[in-house]
Amino acid sequence: MTLVFKDNREFMKALAAAGELVTIEQEVDWDLEAGAIVRKVCEEKGPSPLMNKIKDYPGHRYLGAPIATYRKLAITMGMDPDSSIPQIAAEYVKRTNQQPIKPVLVDKKQAPCKENIITGKDVDLFSLPAPMVHDGDGGRYLSTWHFVTTKDPDNGDVNWGMYRQMCYDSKTMTGPLLPFSDGGKVFHGKYRPRGLAMPFATVIGPDPLSAIAACAPSPIPEPEYTGMLMGKPVELVKCETVDLEVPAHAEIVIEGEILPDVFLEEAPFGEYTGYRTSPRDLRTVYRVKAITYRNDPITTISNMGVPTDEGQLLRSFSLCLEMDTLLRSQGIPITGAFMWPESTHHLVVIGVKTIYSNIAAQIAQLVFGSKLGPWFHMVVVVDDQTDIYNYNEVIHALTTKCHPKKGIHIYEGAGTPLYPFLNFEERLKMAGPKVLFDCTFPIDWDPLSEVPRLVSFKTVYPQEIQEKVLANWEKYGFKAR
Amino acid sequence: MLHYDVFVNSLADLPEGQEVRLAIRDLAPGTHKYCYSNVTALVSPDAQKYEYGLLVRFGRGQIHPAPYSIKILQQVERIPERWR
Ligand SMILES: Cc1cc2nc3c(=O)[nH]c(=O)nc-3n(C[C@H](O)[C@H](O)[C@H](O)COP(=O)(O)O)c2cc1C
Repeated sequence: MTLVFKDNREFMKALAAAGELVTIEQEVDWDLEAGAIVRKVCEEKGPSPLMNKIKDYPGHRYLGAPIATYRKLAITMGMDPDSSIPQIAAEYVKRTNQQPIKPVLVDKKQAPCKENIITGKDVDLFSLPAPMVHDGDGGRYLSTWHFVTTKDPDNGDVNWGMYRQMCYDSKTMTGPLLPFSDGGKVFHGKYRPRGLAMPFATVIGPDPLSAIAACAPSPIPEPEYTGMLMGKPVELVKCETVDLEVPAHAEIVIEGEILPDVFLEEAPFGEYTGYRTSPRDLRTVYRVKAITYRNDPITTISNMGVPTDEGQLLRSFSLCLEMDTLLRSQGIPITGAFMWPESTHHLVVIGVKTIYSNIAAQIAQLVFGSKLGPWFHMVVVVDDQTDIYNYNEVIHALTTKCHPKKGIHIYEGAGTPLYPFLNFEERLKMAGPKVLFDCTFPIDWDPLSEVPRLVSFKTVYPQEIQEKVLANWEKYGFKAR
Repeated sequence: MLHYDVFVNSLADLPEGQEVRLAIRDLAPGTHKYCYSNVTALVSPDAQKYEYGLLVRFGRGQIHPAPYSIKILQQVERIPERWR
């Protein structure tokens, strides 16, 4: 039976047991100090801070950088914290390839997120400790590790998406609900043309697997995807003022509607690329009608910036596993797909058995043209002799096998306003230039006379010599490997 | 003392002495710090000219080194009545 955390409180106990939690009892200021702590933790890949006393907000707490390392991701999955990336990936793929598991609805009395309910004129977003995450941000971002749930007005399909939200005034939040996101497609494609407000509920401090599901690009509805990750149904409860359901064990829930015809300022914000890039613009408006929360609620903070934050780690992880599924579904003989979080999920390395010419171009066109395409712009295709998880091998393949004139291919595609290398105009238009680095040797080269021979211990010495050297390694005077 | 701040693309967005519409943030310490309000106002690069200090920030959050001053003429409601 997999170890599953129903909420962040249980998850924090597991973090603490693995030495991955630091509890801060002294008062921390919501205005930059908390953000600075979380930023430093991200840059040092340190333990998650639980901040028990927040200035101006007695009774409230923060949990920062909940899943910004692979160790914490392994803990989230109920695995050994020292599991390797391929082991975590294999477990994730195994769980998410089983039958979807539908959520169950629980009664309000069993839902801690209903311990406090505020509606109507008493609603004040500034009664919650939204942190000023980075100096220079356009506002206080309450929603940085959370999700927004919405429903398709025609078929009732539910979406959970992690879309950032900034507190604008006591009853208003703003944020970029990008039109190619699942939530954005329904809002911009269905509610707006009909002049209807889209009901929403924002879940702050969901259990860790619900949060992972919400920022994963899977086509499976997120409540069911969460069930697959958990191995059992996620428990949901009905909202107070909108026809939506939220995880019963969430810390804070904000209910309301997204206005179809009003747009207000949002940003700048420190983003997952490691910069403040996307232009301050008129963005989606969330009007708030109700706030419900647990006693002593814990607001989660993810601090976007230079690697490594949750967005970089988990989006890298789930984007490339989704690409893996897509390419295999097309019968392409890949060995796998991997993104280093340090690439801010801009670069994916895909290994393939080069059984026909231009297989790299086919891979690039498929992944760039998919739903995942806007979020990355560099594809590096290596052959099946290169270990995609091994940085040294990949950089060696890139710099030795990619022909500067024939191996680099440029494409146009869909992008986001967040790419730091775009000029201002391009950001507003969400331009998406893309590049493929084909690091495979052409298959029509004669293997005997044309294909260069890789010179490594494993490839240029006879088996018996390798075995002899390895057997004598310590006798020669080297340390045991 | 700085009472509000405002984000602008360039200082040309803050013509001196002309009525401008701005989304400003409250800088008063406490729970409502950074709450937005929409106003019509007069602004000046002379930090002493009007009664409130106005910190000016550019598009990526950078601070303009010389604060302005602001006189608030009117609050403006940008959310139509039917959604309030
Ligand atoms: C911390 C964080 C913040 C994000 N903010 C946004 C955002 O503001 N707007 C957006 O469209 N996507 C944002 N994303 C990316 C989406 O969460 C991601 O595309 C996810 O797959 C959305 O779900 P969907 O596929 O159901 O649209 C963010 C991701 C993370 C991890």
